[in-house]
Amino acid sequence: MRPWVAAILYAVLGAITFVVCFPLLWAISTSLKPKDEIFRWPPTLIPENVTFESYRQLLFGSGVASAPGAGTPPSDFFLQWFANSVIVSVGSTAISITVATLAAYSLTRFRFWGQRAVPYVAILGYMVPSVIFVFPMFLTMVALDLTDTLLSLILGYVCITLPFCLWLMWAFFRGVPIEIEEAALVDGASRLQVFRQIVLPVAMPGIIAASIFSLIVSWNDYLFGRVFMNSMENLPLTVGVMHFFDGTHVDWGLMMASSVLMTLPMAILFGFMQRHLVAGFGAGAVKG
Amino acid sequence: MTDVVVRGLSKSFGSNQVLKALDLTVPSRQFVTLLGPSGCGKTTLLRLVAGLETATAGEIRFGDRRVDRLPPGERNIAMVFQSYALYPTMDVARNIGYGLEVRGTPKAERQEKIGAVAKVLEIGHLLLRKPKQLSGGQRQRVALGRAMSRRPDIFLMDEPLSNLDAKLRATMRGELRRFHLDLGTTTVYVTHDQLEAMTMSDLVVVMNEGVVQQIGTPEEVYGRPANLFVAGFIGTPPMNLIPAKVRDGVLTVAGAPLRVPLPPGAPADVVVGVRPQDVTMARPGDPDTIPGKVWMVELIGSERLIEVEIAPKVRVTAEVRASHRAALDDVVAVRPDPAHLHIFDPATGAVVSTTAP
Repeated sequence: MRPWVAAILYAVLGAITFVVCFPLLWAISTSLKPKDEIFRWPPTLIPENVTFESYRQLLFGSGVASAPGAGTPPSDFFLQWFANSVIVSVGSTAISITVATLAAYSLTRFRFWGQRAVPYVAILGYMVPSVIFVFPMFLTMVALDLTDTLLSLILGYVCITLPFCLWLMWAFFRGVPIEIEEAALVDGASRLQVFRQIVLPVAMPGIIAASIFSLIVSWNDYLFGRVFMNSMENLPLTVGVMHFFDGTHVDWGLMMASSVLMTLPMAILFGFMQRHLVAGFGAGAVKG
Repeated sequence: MTDVVVRGLSKSFGSNQVLKALDLTVPSRQFVTLLGPSGCGKTTLLRLVAGLETATAGEIRFGDRRVDRLPPGERNIAMVFQSYALYPTMDVARNIGYGLEVRGTPKAERQEKIGAVAKVLEIGHLLLRKPKQLSGGQRQRVALGRAMSRRPDIFLMDEPLSNLDAKLRATMRGELRRFHLDLGTTTVYVTHDQLEAMTMSDLVVVMNEGVVQQIGTPEEVYGRPANLFVAGFIGTPPMNLIPAKVRDGVLTVAGAPLRVPLPPGAPADVVVGVRPQDVTMARPGDPDTIPGKVWMVELIGSERLIEVEIAPKVRVTAEVRASHRAALDDVVAVRPDPAHLHIFDPATGAVVSTTAP
């Protein structure tokens, strides 16, 4: 490539990267500014006075004793919301991956009626916008007396993530040659040993890719949390942080610090696992 | 040591019957090759013996033990797959020792056996590598090592050399044969490559359309084919199969009489089989020759193939010395060696008589 072409290319890519990353950079910057600097004009990207007050307030509490008649400040619920989000994301991902892996394996290895249609019907189900079935699901949760419980969110997220996880794992298992399983059977392994010792290690990139997908979807969901939950202590992070906006004023410092803390776990996870994510999606693309 | 006895074995996939009431005995310690074209049922037969498919009817015995209801792991067999089927996440040592591992063999004993096998196959330096870090030939050896490590009663091999290049295939043919002679384990080997079958086997089982066509030594299936299919399938270049007539006890090919002893009751229409090596070039008008015109000439190294058209769309190939010159459309004659003629009944395909020794 000629140097000037490379220079233009890098300039364009750099500009795109900056535009894409700007909201995150702005959130980090705002979260580290004192309140008076947040609204100063002209705005500053790099804080003049760095403060960790918003983070301290979220992680260690506001230290404000509730006045009679006044509720606990929303920021004091942050760790609870964080824990809720972890529980529902990990819980729904564990269920989705377990069910999707076993179902996809049976779809590729055993013969039964409707076997070919299942993955396609599943992916079709995934394409239906979740806003269409969130209210019927809410009514179901009411009937089951599960509203305002973490279990209702876990079940809701399973409904969104399972079809795609199933399709991804199905595409992955189709690429795993059946001969290696037959070789293990001839070697004397039981079906369970074959699945555990031969198939699962081979399918690990697919499982990791599906897990990351499921974690991100359930971690970032707002709609289900908004509809299913109502008590402050049961909210997931995405819904909880909206309480930093009280109708008249927004605490941008807390809001941005929450955003950064919410992004952090997924960013770390993604950083560690992105190699597997690409391999997982690649396997589906080639064989699917 | 164990023989393999197959009786009345049938296998259907839906309405497609792949094996048709097949009978076969693989004698103990022998290297037996199942040879046939794609779709003839040879791999299905091997998979039934391995326990990877369930028979529709019939039985399989290893010695006096009936095995057709046993899972593969309880048959004490080892199988080498066409794709090698190595476990991709395990290193070579664990690949070789996996069969011992699932059978609960103590680690020290396992290591010892893996080491011994690796030494024989000269793959000791590869033990810590993963399959994807190996060449095709090395993978083939590891697959063989995995089969050898358990000292099975029977080796089953499904076209194990077909993914190798020609040179390596030739080397591995010799090595496989050598291992068999050293170990003496009953081996069933599937291939569509007749060169492999001829060079490695004690017995060749020629199959077509789910039926055994002939069982014999490589010399027998080559020299005395039982029917038209075997005659046409075995041998490169293939045997000439020429339509002919029997009139008053005389064999007539394309109008030319050939002095060949015929059995009493030979059908009026027959097919004469003669290998290109047993056809010589002659001058038109010579006795016991068939006249024709040169249709194609091919040099195949030390020999030359001359295809002579003796009647419309009927050609006879002669394999002659490379020094023999012939030009297209030359008027010539071919002389089939009367001592190497095979007469077949075209209605049944079966051999009627043969003059071959």
